[in-house]
Amino acid sequence: MKSLTGMLPYGRLILLLIALGLIWQVSSSMLGVPDYYLPGLDSIFSMLHRHPSPFIAGFVRTASEMLLGLGAGTAFGLCCGVALHRFVMLRQMLLPLLVVSQTVPVIAFGALVVMWFGNSLWAKAVIAFYLTFFTITVNTLAGLAAIDPRRISLLRSFGASPGQILLRLQLPMAGPAIFTGLKLAVALSLSGAVVGEWFGDTTGLGVLLLQSMYNEDTVTLWATILLIALLGSLAFALVGVLERWLLFWQPRS
Amino acid sequence: MPQLSIAPTSPARDSTNVKDSTSGEPILRLAGVSKRFAQVTALDDVNIDIHRGEFITVIGPSGCGKSTLFNIVAGLEAPDQGSVMHKGATVGAKGLLGQVSFMPQQDLLMPWRNVLDNAIVAIELEGTPRGQARQRALTMLPEFGLKGFERHYPHQLSGGMRQRVALMRTFLFERELMLLDEPFGALDSLTRTMMQRWLLEIWRRHRRTVLFITHDIDEAIFLADRVLVMSARPGKVKLEQRIELPRPRGTELVTSADFVHYKRVLLEALEEESMKSFAPH
Repeated sequence: MKSLTGMLPYGRLILLLIALGLIWQVSSSMLGVPDYYLPGLDSIFSMLHRHPSPFIAGFVRTASEMLLGLGAGTAFGLCCGVALHRFVMLRQMLLPLLVVSQTVPVIAFGALVVMWFGNSLWAKAVIAFYLTFFTITVNTLAGLAAIDPRRISLLRSFGASPGQILLRLQLPMAGPAIFTGLKLAVALSLSGAVVGEWFGDTTGLGVLLLQSMYNEDTVTLWATILLIALLGSLAFALVGVLERWLLFWQPRS
Repeated sequence: MPQLSIAPTSPARDSTNVKDSTSGEPILRLAGVSKRFAQVTALDDVNIDIHRGEFITVIGPSGCGKSTLFNIVAGLEAPDQGSVMHKGATVGAKGLLGQVSFMPQQDLLMPWRNVLDNAIVAIELEGTPRGQARQRALTMLPEFGLKGFERHYPHQLSGGMRQRVALMRTFLFERELMLLDEPFGALDSLTRTMMQRWLLEIWRRHRRTVLFITHDIDEAIFLADRVLVMSARPGKVKLEQRIELPRPRGTELVTSADFVHYKRVLLEALEEESMKSFAPH
């Protein structure tokens, strides 16, 4: 049931974006802020309009790296979470190791990953994956641990197997926690993909950032930043839609 | 709100029931069952025979090990000592899983399943195809006062209705022995009285054996063929009281002399135990 009040937040968001755009445009054109600091939105859009191909190619490339890493990281993180929840020994052994692995900044691994996987799309996907899976693992683990044990007892009393309990009860019940992790993972996988490109590549939004920095081309720089924001928002919205669909039973605030 | 149907009942139950409970092999026998948790002896040498078709209520002070008793009968926990015989064969805890239909205190409905799909959870786990399971549940809905609510989700239902969905889940899982752990504990007294009469009616029609935990003496007497009073720690069966009241039972029964007599006997036994649990040393 979509009511008018339900649509209100979207309306407000659009109004806010329009207002921000106006302030931006006014401050750059009328207050005389130099292009070097803040180019007008008009010059950014006309740049995107005149030379769309590097931006489109970059967007597609970065989006693929991100989605590959995010997808693999989510799948692996879910398996990790389930396995670590199930086997206490494994959890005691591996969890500290995983935590330590997350304290090493991804930049430290970046060069290594490029050497292993070449200057390919896969190298960036691996970096996005590395940043993603831990968040999913931890959130899955938390979600599974929070389930009322009496729910599990009830299904056991009906003769359910551990596999049935996992699929019919534990995973759906941990759904809200998993989605919390997934939303964090969206932002992480995007930075992973963008930063990964800095280790060397020829296409991608990260590459465009780097190139425009060297060329002191603020218009391209801002155009790229806006595209990265767009990519992140789209992915976030996609996860939001998925969440509403899968967790329709969740009370929403 | 749909009305609970309390149809006129035949007195046929009584004669068969008394006979059932005194003859033949018990459907479940607990012999010398004990269970300890760290320093606490939850159950100590508990002996119970449950016969086919009986309605047994278990009453006792809080912390008397009633829930442990249920977990053992459901196969969720293994006794430290003693044995459990189910239908004449000694079984371990694993052997009891899936053999009795268990209803815990909380309804524990799955929030993503509607009324119909919550009711079929147990039989679906057994391997009944979903379509067939739903069909069976649909025919049972009116009896449980849930007709027209099959597509509702748990958060859209009242406490009494949720409890009826949970009961329906228990009944659909067709096992001879049903364990009901304070199913009406959270309901207001009016709803509770209605549910008790309704439960007796369903029980009469479906011919199951019921082991029913309660805190409420009136409820224990009103429902039961036999009331077991448990003692405070360690949990033992302190008193076994046969309830010889005619069935079907109506509200007027609660004020009858016989009922009051049973109540006095049980209250006395229970009070002694409650005092003990206040001052255990």
